[in-house]
Amino acid sequence: MIELNTQLVFFLILAIIAIACAVMVIILKKISHRVLSMAFCFFAIAGLYFLLRAEFIGIIQIMVYVGALSILFIFGMMMTDHKSVGFGPERKKIHKVLSFIGVGTLLGFMLYGILGMNLQPSDEQFIGSAEAIGIQVYGHYVIALQAAGILLLAALIGAIVLARKEAE
Amino acid sequence: MVPVELFLALGAILFCIGLYGVLTRRHLVIVLVCIELMLNSVNINLIAFSSIGPFANITGQVFTLFVITLAAAEAAVGLAILIALYRNRESIDAIKQDLLRW
Repeated sequence: MIELNTQLVFFLILAIIAIACAVMVIILKKISHRVLSMAFCFFAIAGLYFLLRAEFIGIIQIMVYVGALSILFIFGMMMTDHKSVGFGPERKKIHKVLSFIGVGTLLGFMLYGILGMNLQPSDEQFIGSAEAIGIQVYGHYVIALQAAGILLLAALIGAIVLARKEAE
Repeated sequence: MVPVELFLALGAILFCIGLYGVLTRRHLVIVLVCIELMLNSVNINLIAFSSIGPFANITGQVFTLFVITLAAAEAAVGLAILIALYRNRESIDAIKQDLLRW
C-alpha cells in the first residue's frame, strides 16, 4: 500500500485535472470551450513536470503548448468560421461503439502491463537542470538539433505556402 | 516519491482518450487537438522515466524537447492544411473529405 504523502496528493490532483480536461475536450459542444479545456489539460501536465523536477521542460511546456499552440488553435478555429460550416449526417453509432471497444481494449492491455510491471525504483529523484540539457543537446545530440531546426524552417515555409491565397 | 507506474498509467489513459477523439470526432481542429494530447502523453512517459525511472538520466528530457518541437511543427502545418481545405471545399468536416476514398 502506498502511503499518502504530499507528492502523491499533488500527483492525484493534477492527474484528475488532466484527465477531466482531456475528457471535456471530447464531450463539450462548443469548439472554443474545447480548445480552452485543452489549454488547462496542458497546464496540468506542466504541473506534473514540475512535480517530477523537470522544471525546464515544464516552462517550455507552458510557453509552447499553453502559450503558442492554444492561440494557434484559436486562430484556426476562427478562420474556419465553424458557425457557417454545415456538418453532414452523424457518424454511424456502430463506428463509435467499435472505436470505444477497441480503445478500451487497448487501454486495458496497457494498464494490465503497466501495473503488473515490477520496476526497480531509483534511490533518489533525478533533477535535470537546464545546464545539463544544454550540454546534452549541443553536445551529443547536435545533429538532431540541426535536423529539428531544418524541420522548423520547412514547417514555417510549408505553412505559409499552404495557407496564403493563390496568386491572382 | 510517486511510483513511476502511476505516471505510466496516466500517460496510457491520456493516450487512449486522444485516440478515441481522433477516431470519432468530426471537426478537424478537434482531431488536431487530440493528436497533441497523444503526443503529450508520450512526453509524460519520457519525463517520468527520466526523473524517477530505474536508470534516471537526462536523455528523456532531451527527447521531450524534440517531441515538443515536432508537435509545434505538426500543428502549424496541420492548421495551414485545414485553412486551405476550408478555402477550397468550404468544409472542415472529417467525413466530407473523401476525395481519395476508395
